[in-house]
Amino acid sequence: MENFSLTKHELIQLTEDTFIVSFNEWIEFEPTQFIMIETETSIVRKPFGLGRWNKRLAIGVQIIGPGTGYIVQQNVLNAHGPCGRGFVPPGGKGAMIATPACLPMAMDLKERHGCDVFIGSAEELSIEIPFPLVVGDEPFLNLLRSLRGYNWFLIVGSDQMEKVSYDVLKDKAEVFVSFNEYMACGIGACKGCAKETRTGLKHLCIDGPVLRGEEVWS
Amino acid sequence: MELRPPIVIASGIGGMGEYLKLIDPKCIGAYTLKTITFKPRHGNPPPRLIATQNYLINSIGLENVGVKKFIEELRGQVYDELFRKVKVIFSFAGENFEEYLLVAEKMVPYQDRFAAFECNFSCPNVQFNPLSNPTELKRMLLELRKRLNVFLIAKIGIEGGFVEDVAKLAEDCGWNGVTLINTIRALHVDGERIIAGGVSGPVLKPIALRAVYEVRKRTSLFIIASGGIMNEEDAQQFFKVGASAISIGTALYKNPKIVEKIAKMFY
Repeated sequence: MENFSLTKHELIQLTEDTFIVSFNEWIEFEPTQFIMIETETSIVRKPFGLGRWNKRLAIGVQIIGPGTGYIVQQNVLNAHGPCGRGFVPPGGKGAMIATPACLPMAMDLKERHGCDVFIGSAEELSIEIPFPLVVGDEPFLNLLRSLRGYNWFLIVGSDQMEKVSYDVLKDKAEVFVSFNEYMACGIGACKGCAKETRTGLKHLCIDGPVLRGEEVWS
Repeated sequence: MELRPPIVIASGIGGMGEYLKLIDPKCIGAYTLKTITFKPRHGNPPPRLIATQNYLINSIGLENVGVKKFIEELRGQVYDELFRKVKVIFSFAGENFEEYLLVAEKMVPYQDRFAAFECNFSCPNVQFNPLSNPTELKRMLLELRKRLNVFLIAKIGIEGGFVEDVAKLAEDCGWNGVTLINTIRALHVDGERIIAGGVSGPVLKPIALRAVYEVRKRTSLFIIASGGIMNEEDAQQFFKVGASAISIGTALYKNPKIVEKIAKMFY
């Protein structure tokens, strides 16, 4: 855990509002760990899952407000991390189901663990990606329904996409979900990112961000 | 109490020492631990936070392990590294007056390890507000003073009476200092989502400045100023109106290194 600055290497536009930001620097991290990035538009830093793109440290950013817009525009970002627990997949065949903003995380998980990756997007992407892509709600649901023969799934995306995916996949394999609770410190100090689970209160910045779906949505 | 530099990490936000991973301990005069209550507290249900450019509202609700477990941790050397690196302030509260006394009594054997005890009389996220009953508050201040032989700080807010009156009462009861101010009850409405909690951040600064200014006129207490201190200029303003030390809280969320920048004012 440390403070650092990251300088932008490349900005890759995926859709109208979604980008991959890659950096000149590299930091050591585990899959699904994240960094807390300072913005000018909020007094708390924002968490972004760490990954890789074109062999560089990278994050995905979907612009949903001034803070995420700021992160896309800046050339130098102040951050601390890596935060959270790294995701260690259980044995067997696995797949990550993700949105375009999670492409760097997916690339990292694929490289480290050789899992399959499926990307669901609301619109076409402006670049070619090395994973199967489905566009639109119905094709995405059809994809989820078609998945067979996996021992585990990891779902990373918006709250709504995660819940929909979990409901379809929960009876097919063990399902892990990267939750998106609001965070402030990212280091376990403030207790702000509490999540009620079947086994008690969890704090996503130290116990997560990935939890078993059944712990939360039993 | 001598703090070098006169910079305190605020209770709650600072957790149980986690920020030492990100801040040079030489830049911290004292580190206030998260408030410990008599019984363990689960805290409030999520969502617990919302932030904007100028404020943060938190509804943590004093989540903590309770004094029994805390003492086990203390004896189990969980905090030994923290004690080696910085002065530590113990923060405590109760769900009624008696629980304040019970926590204090349990902590008597360990009081020498701490630079001070900060009694949290003003958390906006719990039902009990000690400041709303001056008679009982006075009894509490006297009873706690009797039981504890440590530098005693009352953390007071602006709800429940003028801060200078409460601070004077604390001074008259033999207390050594005050922390001014706590977060203030506030509400955030965002569509269907409503978060009731305590507001902190830059919006608090003018209120906290006035509180420090008024208490300094009425008392000679050690004043730890807290509320919207985001940079060196804010810190200077609080010292100018009478603060003995400043407490950094919400600013840690934006940039933990701000503590080191402010500390440079003293080196």
